[in-house]
Amino acid sequence: MLDSDQRAGSPFQFRECFVMTMPTGRTASNLRELVHTLREVNEAVLSYHLWQSRMSIAHPGVEYPNDFAIWATQALQDSRLAEKLSVIDPFVYEDMKQLRDALVDLLDEYLWDQPYVPWARPGFEFYFCEASIVVLRSQIFAWTLSEFCAGLSKVGLDSVYYHFVDARWRLRSIRMNDFSNWIKINYDLPDLAAAIQGIDVGFYTLEEVRGTILDLVNQIYKGA
Amino acid sequence: MTTRLNELEPISGPTVIDQLRRMAERLAGQRLVHINSTRMGGGVAELLMGIIPLWNELGIDARWEVIQGDQAFFEVTKAMHNALQGFDVRITPAMFQHYLEVNRMNASRLEFDADFVVVNDPQPAFLIQHMRSHARRWIWRCHIDASRPNRQVWRFLRDAVSQYDASIFSMPNFSQNLPHPQYVIHPSIDPLSEKNRELSEEEISAVMDRLGIERDKPIILQVSRFDSFKDPLGVIQAFRMVRSQTPCKLVLAGGEATDDPEGSRIFAEAQEAAHGDPDIQLLLLPPESNHEINALQRAADVIVQKSVREGFGLTVTEAMWKGKPVIGGAAGGIVLQLRDYYTGFLVHSPEGCALRIRYLLHHPDMGHRMGQIAREFVRSHFLMTRNVRDYLSMMLLSDNPGSRSMEI
Repeated sequence: MLDSDQRAGSPFQFRECFVMTMPTGRTASNLRELVHTLREVNEAVLSYHLWQSRMSIAHPGVEYPNDFAIWATQALQDSRLAEKLSVIDPFVYEDMKQLRDALVDLLDEYLWDQPYVPWARPGFEFYFCEASIVVLRSQIFAWTLSEFCAGLSKVGLDSVYYHFVDARWRLRSIRMNDFSNWIKINYDLPDLAAAIQGIDVGFYTLEEVRGTILDLVNQIYKGA
Repeated sequence: MTTRLNELEPISGPTVIDQLRRMAERLAGQRLVHINSTRMGGGVAELLMGIIPLWNELGIDARWEVIQGDQAFFEVTKAMHNALQGFDVRITPAMFQHYLEVNRMNASRLEFDADFVVVNDPQPAFLIQHMRSHARRWIWRCHIDASRPNRQVWRFLRDAVSQYDASIFSMPNFSQNLPHPQYVIHPSIDPLSEKNRELSEEEISAVMDRLGIERDKPIILQVSRFDSFKDPLGVIQAFRMVRSQTPCKLVLAGGEATDDPEGSRIFAEAQEAAHGDPDIQLLLLPPESNHEINALQRAADVIVQKSVREGFGLTVTEAMWKGKPVIGGAAGGIVLQLRDYYTGFLVHSPEGCALRIRYLLHHPDMGHRMGQIAREFVRSHFLMTRNVRDYLSMMLLSDNPGSRSMEI
């Protein structure tokens, strides 16, 4: 039986994360320019537009999960392309090269079938950015699951982002996020770790992610 | 003792204030100088007035220096400002020379040794040529929509800006091709200022009485200068389409754009369009009317900012902070702030504006819900605490320019 105060072998230290958007000075006015530039830009540009930008401006009610899909619908007014781009899950790729190839391939194929090159509305050009990140070690440690819940309730959403979204890239080889990984290592709760990993980051706000994780953990020791 | 940080804590949240304190600990005692060209009036002065006390409460040794110039200098810098916004402006070599001379004179007058200098906008940009050794890091902060700058002026300014260690723009699309790191820091509002602080119903009513605005019908409000980019005539057109079906009144409040040759013409046209209509009120407010604007925004039922061209659009942010549903033109930073049916509505025409006003007047509950989401969105992204945090991040990162990530 699980005790919510059962002590972990190693504590979970919450970190906070601040994403500073850095424009690269490069832009795309149409889809062909977007593809062309995507082949050349730093890998940091891809991570920014695929998941980090969410921490820069987190809109309520996210319709599409990455900047490329949002640009397709807002600037090109091409919902079909936006839908195709929205299925790109960056965290299933082994490295940035694979991810870049997949993205470019998708856009190339789409462009191939178009009778004309889709152009952005004036003023809605794509501005390629990358990010610099400051990670701040908080003073909040969790030695038990109840301390984990208390900590998770207290930290800022930047911390939820860092451990739950950003971690998916850092821990992509084991398909984990920091929370699931800590639970898996310290407690014999593979189902809980998997359930947390299974929360679809594309369709929840970070506040909803926090609430869902808390519910999942609470259910475990309420059930016990 | 009440400090600004203490006052901000219930608004921004204790976690945010704690983060600022912990980040600032890493920079304790660092000397930071902000330089701009005016201590009163304008968005930059407003921002600095709010932010300087915060720096000092956080243990950063912050100073605010203001450059001095004659009328001819400010005429050149006004022309440069307009040119950076894309206006076709001609600046003669003699004007550039005078601008450089005033920068040189200020450089010999100013005295500081700093770790970081933040130079705001083009007016003091050339100080770096004379004062490079007075600070470890020079940062140029551009508050202007420089997405399509006049080439002649940008080429001139670029000579100085390229010497900086970093630059900051308000939006990615305002950034330029520069040989140093560029950061985006969105503008912010001060929730404690007279323009944004909470007001009692009595205070709101007193202002409405003084301005002669009866609250007998739903109020549609646009607060902005009377210039063509803010499209006051389009707002009147939209209002008339709405009023033909739903009773309401329109208040257009703002100053006249005296530095815009079109300004007086647009105001006269708005007056003419509103003439004889008891449901339209045009208010020319003096520049220091922050309390009045606050009350107007809080009394309004729907707030419109139907710009056809916009920098960031802090009037939208202010309205959102007051929990109001906002309808904004799809331009500049307004696009970043408003999402249909969540934080407001984006529109592209007077007809679209009318459609959304009608929707909100008939669905006040939806308007209220959107207003609450908008307020929380501003709380997370556009309060001055976030602005301070971004500066702290940038200062920390500047010591690791090659790295995209640092852990402290």
